[in-house]
Amino acid sequence: MTDRTSQNEEQGEQRQPRPEPRDAAFWAKRVDKLEVSAVPDGASNVNVHGRREVGALQGFGQLWQKTYRVRLTGVETTPEEAVRVWKERFPELQPPNSRFYPSMAGVAPGEVLFISASVGGMPVHTGVRVIYADDESFTVMTPEGHPESGWNTFSAYADEDGTTVAQIQSLARANDPIYEIGFRVVGATEQERLWTHVLKSLSAHFGVNEPVSLEKTCVDPKVQWSQIRNLWHNAGARSMIYTMTAPLRWRRDRARRG
Amino acid sequence: MAVKHFEAEVRREPSGAVLDLRGEINGFAQEALDAAYAEAEKENPGAILLNFEEVDYINSTGIALIVGLLARARAAKRDLSAYGLSEHYVEIFNITRLSDFVNVFPDERSAMGDRRQQENLKPEA
Repeated sequence: MTDRTSQNEEQGEQRQPRPEPRDAAFWAKRVDKLEVSAVPDGASNVNVHGRREVGALQGFGQLWQKTYRVRLTGVETTPEEAVRVWKERFPELQPPNSRFYPSMAGVAPGEVLFISASVGGMPVHTGVRVIYADDESFTVMTPEGHPESGWNTFSAYADEDGTTVAQIQSLARANDPIYEIGFRVVGATEQERLWTHVLKSLSAHFGVNEPVSLEKTCVDPKVQWSQIRNLWHNAGARSMIYTMTAPLRWRRDRARRG
Repeated sequence: MAVKHFEAEVRREPSGAVLDLRGEINGFAQEALDAAYAEAEKENPGAILLNFEEVDYINSTGIALIVGLLARARAAKRDLSAYGLSEHYVEIFNITRLSDFVNVFPDERSAMGDRRQQENLKPEA
């Protein structure tokens, strides 16, 4: 063992409480399970309330890091301004088959964004929680049942020549075997189309028409069979059942009123 | 507020390699962190310890970098542990559920002690 270790031990005994780091206000508070008090108009809470959040390590499929970028060339805008617009207009930057419903507080630490998407013609109701948000970035984390297990970080930065670059970085794996098959067959391409669309919409807002670049790396090629039970929460299957049983709920509610 | 750049140094210890991290872990830390981790992996240690004692800022991109290291460690069947995290960053490890996969220790002594136990090594005289 080196001398440094014994120095650390002595320092450890005298350690003073460390001051609150400046990122503290940007992180969401920890929750054991997602709790939803109000559901925005048009959103469905079927796969959100009561679900635990899952990160890039809890899912089933291969772990991928994908980075999408677009340069806002020729525009005098700062990374802070790009992210401010992104937060404010997040729902309208999505394609028509992927609707996001933010809470009244919008994109802020701890807030839940509801999602109603159509995947291969099938409805998927789910959501994400904002776990981090500062002036230049925000990150959402998925709950159980979401097609992916992991994070998406939406950010902007100034590159070497001062041009603002908007970036989406996802670090995620499919949540269960059904989603994994879906991603390998067609879902990954659909997902890449989705985030490319979002960056194209954001750049169009600033009057820019630049190509979106994509870098992808398979961080962990193995699937995690230990996570096969995630199937139970599959939001696609639950959304389908929810949609199919809508007439029954309608009749039940009518009977109660009647 | 002045931005503190990120630095990482590798130390070899009997129980594994230690990465001493300093400064801010954000997107700009990627190159230095990856290079240091690659250096730490060179002698194929059974465990790598991340020392966060001198880290005073981690944003969500920084957490993603740590997840990347964890994925690499798991692929190589290598233990990855952390120590020196402030209460705030222990909480962040809980929020992001990194703590499900990374053993977090208060200091280097306890991290090394745990490692020795795992390897059935006798404590050094």
